[in-house]
Amino acid sequence: MSNPILRAAHVSKHYTIGERRAVVLNDITLALEPGEFTVISGASGSGKTTLLTILSGLDKPSIGRVWLAGKDITDLDENGLAPLRNRLIGFVFQAFHLVPSLTSLENIMFPAELNRDPDAVEKASHLLQRVGLWERRHNRPEQLSGGEKQRVAICRALVNNPRLIFADEPTGNLDSENSREVVELLLELQQEFNTTLLLATHSRSIADRADRILTLHDGRLVDDGLPS
Amino acid sequence: MMIHYRFLWEELRYGGKQALTFIICVALSIATLTALNSFRRDVHGSLIDEARALQGGDIVIHAHQPLSEKLRATVDALERDNRLYQQRTVEFYTVALSETKGDSLFSSIKAVGPGYPFFGTITLDSGRPLGEALEPGTVVVAREVLDRLGLMMGNRLIIGDTDFEIVDVVNFESMRPVSFLSFGPRIFISMADVDQLGLLGRGSRVEHEILLKLTDPAEADELVKILGASATPRLERVETAKNARSRVKIFFDNLLFFLSCISILTLMLSGIGMQGSLSAILYQKQKIIAVTKAFGASNRFLLTQYLIMVSCMGAFGSIIGIGLGYVIKRLFPLLFGDLVPQGVGYAFHPVDTLEGIILGILVVTVFTLLPLHRLGTVKPVMIFRHETEAGKRSTAALLTGIICGLFLCLLVIRQIDDVKIGIFFVIGLVLLIGAVSLTASACLWLLKRVTLPTLVLRQAAKSLYRPGNASRSIIVTLTSAISVLLVIFLLKLNLFATFIESYPENAPNLFCIDIQQDQKDLFQTVVGEDVLLFPVIRARLLSINSQAIDPQQERERKTDNLGREFNLTYRNSLLDDEVITEGGTLYGLGKNLPTGVVAVSVLDSIAEIGEIDLDDLLRFNIQGVEIDAQVTSIRSRTKSRLYPFFYFVFEPATLEAAPQTFFAAMHLPKELIPDMITAIVAQLPNVSTINVADIAERFGQLMKRLSVIVTFFASFSIMAGCLILVSTIFATRLDRIRETVYYKVLGADSSFVLRVLTCEQAMLALLSSIVAVVFAEAAAWLICTTVFNIVYQPHWLVAAMTVVSSILLVVIIGLASSIGIIQQRPAMYLQQQNNT
Repeated sequence: MSNPILRAAHVSKHYTIGERRAVVLNDITLALEPGEFTVISGASGSGKTTLLTILSGLDKPSIGRVWLAGKDITDLDENGLAPLRNRLIGFVFQAFHLVPSLTSLENIMFPAELNRDPDAVEKASHLLQRVGLWERRHNRPEQLSGGEKQRVAICRALVNNPRLIFADEPTGNLDSENSREVVELLLELQQEFNTTLLLATHSRSIADRADRILTLHDGRLVDDGLPS
Repeated sequence: MMIHYRFLWEELRYGGKQALTFIICVALSIATLTALNSFRRDVHGSLIDEARALQGGDIVIHAHQPLSEKLRATVDALERDNRLYQQRTVEFYTVALSETKGDSLFSSIKAVGPGYPFFGTITLDSGRPLGEALEPGTVVVAREVLDRLGLMMGNRLIIGDTDFEIVDVVNFESMRPVSFLSFGPRIFISMADVDQLGLLGRGSRVEHEILLKLTDPAEADELVKILGASATPRLERVETAKNARSRVKIFFDNLLFFLSCISILTLMLSGIGMQGSLSAILYQKQKIIAVTKAFGASNRFLLTQYLIMVSCMGAFGSIIGIGLGYVIKRLFPLLFGDLVPQGVGYAFHPVDTLEGIILGILVVTVFTLLPLHRLGTVKPVMIFRHETEAGKRSTAALLTGIICGLFLCLLVIRQIDDVKIGIFFVIGLVLLIGAVSLTASACLWLLKRVTLPTLVLRQAAKSLYRPGNASRSIIVTLTSAISVLLVIFLLKLNLFATFIESYPENAPNLFCIDIQQDQKDLFQTVVGEDVLLFPVIRARLLSINSQAIDPQQERERKTDNLGREFNLTYRNSLLDDEVITEGGTLYGLGKNLPTGVVAVSVLDSIAEIGEIDLDDLLRFNIQGVEIDAQVTSIRSRTKSRLYPFFYFVFEPATLEAAPQTFFAAMHLPKELIPDMITAIVAQLPNVSTINVADIAERFGQLMKRLSVIVTFFASFSIMAGCLILVSTIFATRLDRIRETVYYKVLGADSSFVLRVLTCEQAMLALLSSIVAVVFAEAAAWLICTTVFNIVYQPHWLVAAMTVVSSILLVVIIGLASSIGIIQQRPAMYLQQQNNT
């Protein structure tokens, strides 16, 4: 068996709101292999986003541990997590989350610049051309359509050639035409960059294209299998 | 009108820090102005409203020589007609000697008649009226005379050729409400003793005054016209008590005018801060407002709620502001010390509170118009949008700008009490802010185009252009506040450098004036060394190239004026510190002058004031004799003003025969000066000695005090500038948090976020302070060279320290307001975004 790129063991997450204890994730154990395209599916409120944030190190589990590229990230603080996020991980969000004061090109360059990559401009330019937005390189996020924003966000996620991409409902804010195009692009680039992709969605059509589907229900992992 | 109390309470509660900033801004905007206006009312009440008490009569006639026969005859005739009563006074400076100890003191002598004064009060230790206590052969002295000479009541004091018995002590003199404008303490003598003093020789510096009490004070203006017609032009001045420009009134008018300008600046900056913090509150509530509108709340409902909220905060701020004004006024005795006229109170009156309330209401109304208007532009669709909408320029914004401008105009005119100067001030302020604003825009434009070397710097620079960041406003306000403080500081340093610190080691520190022709040898003997004596001939300049000098107009000048009496001298050579800049030789060697025209050499500083050029024809009145002189050279000086200098120098043959006195300047070890003064006065009682070192020290103390006062008021402007920074950080807090989260998600650590925030604040401060330094240096240079007429030193170290301290201040305040932003955890923010 190869070394998994991501591993989680007995991960639980609960919140205490007033006197009520809400369990969002309950004893999740999983592992992702390199180059794999995995979908987390489930109804709204099933814990998809929470699982994604914990696996990516954006949040901490209440119980359990998470290993990224063999390194236990559970107890790392923000500063310890920063280089891992920068070099190993790429994020694509439903709400795009592009830096408003930066242009498309600058948004894509930003993670590479943080990584002190001398080829940041070339890499970002190449990606922007690859996704057909070279003409929009000087536009700020507010000047882009939803589909264009998400394509810029995908480029930004890939610029440091990460080993793992986390995508949280990347088509949630897009119309069907743009959704289709963005998914195609994401999968093409995932193949091209040979990256592991973990994507949270409740879209059946996207899930059907995955190598593996993890199904959540009320915070529990109820199924781990192949698409139908 | 529906008021939703719970909504209101929640909005106020969760307004939190922004609400506090708003309240502090309101308080700050009215505190200094309220305190200052209250103080102004007290001073005006004491000085202006009681002008008669300050001048001692309804009408005052001034002259530097005994009154002309014609004017005396007119006064006497009016007295015979029972239209007025008259009283003569004579005032001059001289040295008084202690008979027992031999110590001396440069004092202000005032000779008065039995009924002096007509108006005002002079309170003596004994409680008796001055007229009763003061008899021929006696003196009534200020406490300082006793203290400094170590004398007691009953001791004797020598003034001129006469010795007097000290019979009483003056506690208060309404004609002399402050002491800092006088060179020596007061000594009253009886008018009957004046002639026996032997001090009022030709060329002596004496102020002759006639105080008039009118039977019908309503006739004042008419009688001034009648008397003015009999007065000798240029030599005799007739004024009503109300119009008389006393030095105290001029001093306070200027000081209060200047402090008012600073307070208006503070009010403006606080107003901008108020606008910023309210915008921040409403920006944070945007989604709530959108949701409330989606559920059917009308603009009117929301406007009512927020108007009440603003009114509550405004009222709270006004109460704190009035309280702060009260505290500031209580600090005035400490701040102003002996600058404040005796009798001026420091109480806070109901009218001060009322003014604070009115000012609070006006300020809050004017500066919250625009943010409240923007409530109407929030659309329910914003519930679904995360992006901020860039503020659109609308007619309402323009209207608000016009209302703000009008309000400021009215406020300035009211404060300055002069429509013309008020309008000039507003235009000046607008031009200054416009220039600073343009410079700030140019700097920001340049910064945008410069490729900065590191990612942190690039991100920090990008942050300056964040929507709603108001970088330009911050730079404008910080620049204005820093400029004001720096200008004051630079002026103080330059004045100190010129008059106090640069006091050369061997510069003269004892001046002796009014040495008579026949006393020259005796003076040299007493002094014991060969001191250079400069002949002094008093004269007035009548015209330049036949263009008559208008004394009235000249008096308006802020610099030295051509309407005053000048001291002319004669010699054939230049002084050690003089050089000829135009004309080649002092009197134009070989030059043919028209018949009846003599040669004169003019100093460059007065030539500049009077726009006098080489070959210009000047007409002088030398004690009744008119002479024409052609400018044959322009001289310049290489040493400080502390060395003797003369504006106009003639050939000896021209003035040798004119009535003259002599002037001597010498340098002595400081500790020997009092003994030398005593020796000179004992032998030559009519000679006035001026201890320049002592005067320079007193001037330094006055400068320091004024500088503290101005810095105190200007520091409120700096506070207002800082509040704008804080309110801007609050206004863009959500954007800053979002950026922080994105940085962290993309792999940046906390130190990167901290460095970006620090650099952003540092860039703001750097831009502001550099622009401020440039403006302040330019303004200080302009004031020094045109108003004070002194050489300007730029003081770059102070400028550098201003830049560094501004950066430190802004970075500290910026980071303190951003602690929550730096600590923001990405997951929490992203979750909130997904949940809303």
